[in-house]
Amino acid sequence: MSESTTAAAEVSLSTPPELARVPLVQNQRSIGWITDKVSKIVEERTPRWWWVAFLICSPVALMGLLCIGYQISNGVGIWGENKTVGWAWDITNFVFWIGIGHAGTLISAILFLTRQKWRTSINRAAEAMTLFAVVCAGIFPGIHVGRVWMAWFLAPVPNMQGIWPNFRSPLLWDVFAVSTYFIVSVLFWYTGLVPDLASLRDRAKGRVARFIYGVFALGWRGSNRQWRHYEMAYLLLAGLSTPLVLSVHSVVSFDFATSILPGWHTTIFPPYFVAGAIFGGFAMVLTIMLPARLLYPQVDDLITRQHVDKMAKIILLTGSIVGYAYLTELFIAWYGANPYEKFTFFNARLGLEGKGWYAWSYYVMMFCNVISPQLFWIKSMRTNYVAVFTVCMFVNVGMWFERFVIIVTSLAQDFLPSSWRHYSPSWVEVLTFVGTFGIFLSLFLLFMRFLPMIAMSEVKIVTPEADPHHTPHGPGAVANH
Amino acid sequence: MAHSWLFGFTYFFTICMGCLFWNCLHHATDSDWSVVVRRQLENIASLIPYFAIFFIPVLASAGVLYKWWSMDPASEPLLAAKQPYLSQPFFIARAIGYFVLAGWVAYSLKRRSISQDADGSAAHSLVMRKFGIGGIPVVAIAITFAAFDWLMGLDYKWFSTMWGVYLFAGAAGSSMSLLVLIVSALKRRGYLSVVNLEHYHTMGKFMLAFTIFWAYIGFSQYMLIWYANIPEETVYYQIRNTGSWWYLSTFLVVGRFFLPFPVLLLQFTKKKPKLLCAVAIWILFMQLVDVYVIVLPALHPSGIAISPFDLSSLLGIGGILGWLFFRNLKNSPLYPMRDPRLGASLKLTN
Repeated sequence: MSESTTAAAEVSLSTPPELARVPLVQNQRSIGWITDKVSKIVEERTPRWWWVAFLICSPVALMGLLCIGYQISNGVGIWGENKTVGWAWDITNFVFWIGIGHAGTLISAILFLTRQKWRTSINRAAEAMTLFAVVCAGIFPGIHVGRVWMAWFLAPVPNMQGIWPNFRSPLLWDVFAVSTYFIVSVLFWYTGLVPDLASLRDRAKGRVARFIYGVFALGWRGSNRQWRHYEMAYLLLAGLSTPLVLSVHSVVSFDFATSILPGWHTTIFPPYFVAGAIFGGFAMVLTIMLPARLLYPQVDDLITRQHVDKMAKIILLTGSIVGYAYLTELFIAWYGANPYEKFTFFNARLGLEGKGWYAWSYYVMMFCNVISPQLFWIKSMRTNYVAVFTVCMFVNVGMWFERFVIIVTSLAQDFLPSSWRHYSPSWVEVLTFVGTFGIFLSLFLLFMRFLPMIAMSEVKIVTPEADPHHTPHGPGAVANH
Repeated sequence: MAHSWLFGFTYFFTICMGCLFWNCLHHATDSDWSVVVRRQLENIASLIPYFAIFFIPVLASAGVLYKWWSMDPASEPLLAAKQPYLSQPFFIARAIGYFVLAGWVAYSLKRRSISQDADGSAAHSLVMRKFGIGGIPVVAIAITFAAFDWLMGLDYKWFSTMWGVYLFAGAAGSSMSLLVLIVSALKRRGYLSVVNLEHYHTMGKFMLAFTIFWAYIGFSQYMLIWYANIPEETVYYQIRNTGSWWYLSTFLVVGRFFLPFPVLLLQFTKKKPKLLCAVAIWILFMQLVDVYVIVLPALHPSGIAISPFDLSSLLGIGGILGWLFFRNLKNSPLYPMRDPRLGASLKLTN
């Protein structure tokens, strides 16, 4: 064997320049600088652009709420659904939003468990986005039950009529999966916020601000013991969140895959939906973070091109997994040789023989989700913000269309041609969906104003200064950069 | 006998493909931690081209293994609908494709890695990264379609879109387990002192992750087929859930997930090489059971019928592969000695 004691002497421990890792925080910013710049976003006067943005988003949110009120008072009949297409925009929007809500917890939990340190400067905003997306998602099944005042029937509460939810229905599993996910995500997000809230408390000039941040900082003093507890809690919550990230969208996929409808019933759905959710979620994170970075140039050294590059790679990976799933479905639809399955995939979706009413939506989906992210094979495209933003917009559109394709193409042209029905959304559906964007963005704008949008304490941990062996002017400083 | 051979063949093929996956993943993600164990992944993955030889008996007995092989498509509309996919020339061409593509990636990665031992140039790392990134879709496509061709094709009427992912899940977990065993065996004989408990911890975490992933994929596939209850799909589980197969299927579920899961969950296990090796042996054994439950019911639908050929094909293929592995082992250093990331790998902390 060629391993010898002299081998160790040949080992070079320094990294050649081609393989040197770019530091996560650029320009060797100090710990104090990080606190200062991130806290300033919250502390300084509300910028004018914020008011403009908020005054655009909040009326849209209000319009969405009015539509929901209108729908509740008039019933689901005001939607465009019909007897054949019983599910359409409502569930499409639900799955769309719940999918977006996956990136935050993936970044926070799975990337934490896999020790991906680059997550630290984007996780806070991504988690906030997760929560707001889940709020938007929750609206749709909530109002779809028709009599919303009966929605509590979804919970297994003993009641006088002795009515129990149908535990065999994946729709009920959804209720449990989504609510658990929301609760754990809130806890996880809040736990991560505690040290930063304490920083804001300590820096607050006004009494009210100090009191409010103080209450939510739960008496954090940054002692050794508190950090130990905090880190244990964070690790446990990350461990708990990880199966939840996978389970929520798997359960959502069961809504469709447990049925026997062609195009819905296919075994690859659970991992395919999870990959799609992460894909759509990352696209939405970038859609929001790129403008935020433009508006707050002071965080440029924290959210760097390296971060955007890595997120673009995840979009490429998950987009390709989704592409794998699409093609596997097509292949098995053909291989399985079931005429109904074949019809759904090749006629209704691909539009062969001119029979696909919604074939255009399939091509929109394919282009946006599978073709457009392939641009990210090119490194210069991954670090070009305009290109990344453009692809992310395509992905946002594509992921909405994916759900539309699955739901509407399978339903509208089902087994029996005489029962086929076209579907088009009513104005209430369209405006409700637009309204959820208003709700989402308004909540995000509020978050940016009142909470540190970058996890300061976590970013500080990945700076070279945080390394106990770090010597600012010694050889260690060179090795760390 | 043909089924026994396919059983042994599939078992080792999945493990070698799994090692190729881990090797590609290492380069694609530019990982630090795995540098010290990477050479062993390269050594196992470079056995892939030999499977082309082991495939000859599969091909020779295809008429026994695959009902469609000797059928006239004109006599069976279902088979006619699957033309030209389920045709002899295309089947052979695809198999050659898998071996050539996966073998080429495995061979190129190993060759580059050994060149790096000589000059320590970072340029090799950059080339290997390209191969690693390109290798992942190669592994995905090869495992998926090999699974469709060689295993799903045992019953040409049956299909499941999850099938490729299911095979991959088992392959990734069991190949990581084999890596743990090989690394431990070398350490025991005083080699590979560069591998420390932190590396064991990381490998243990991946074993845990893929124990869960296997269960997730297996459950999803089973549950959806069971729930929808469509005859052409349930036929697969119907055979495996009746007669004596039921006991083996239940054992698979318990043994592949419920037993190793709580053990691997503990940090303690992952930092005790001996214990981790015991779990690794168990997972490799369960992968054997998994492949057995996939292949053999096609021959004996009414119940388990163990044949001496099951063991002999396993020992035969395993023995030849083991011999090739040990022969190659001494041709290169046991770890990439001059990999630029070696220093970072040595400093791994979890």
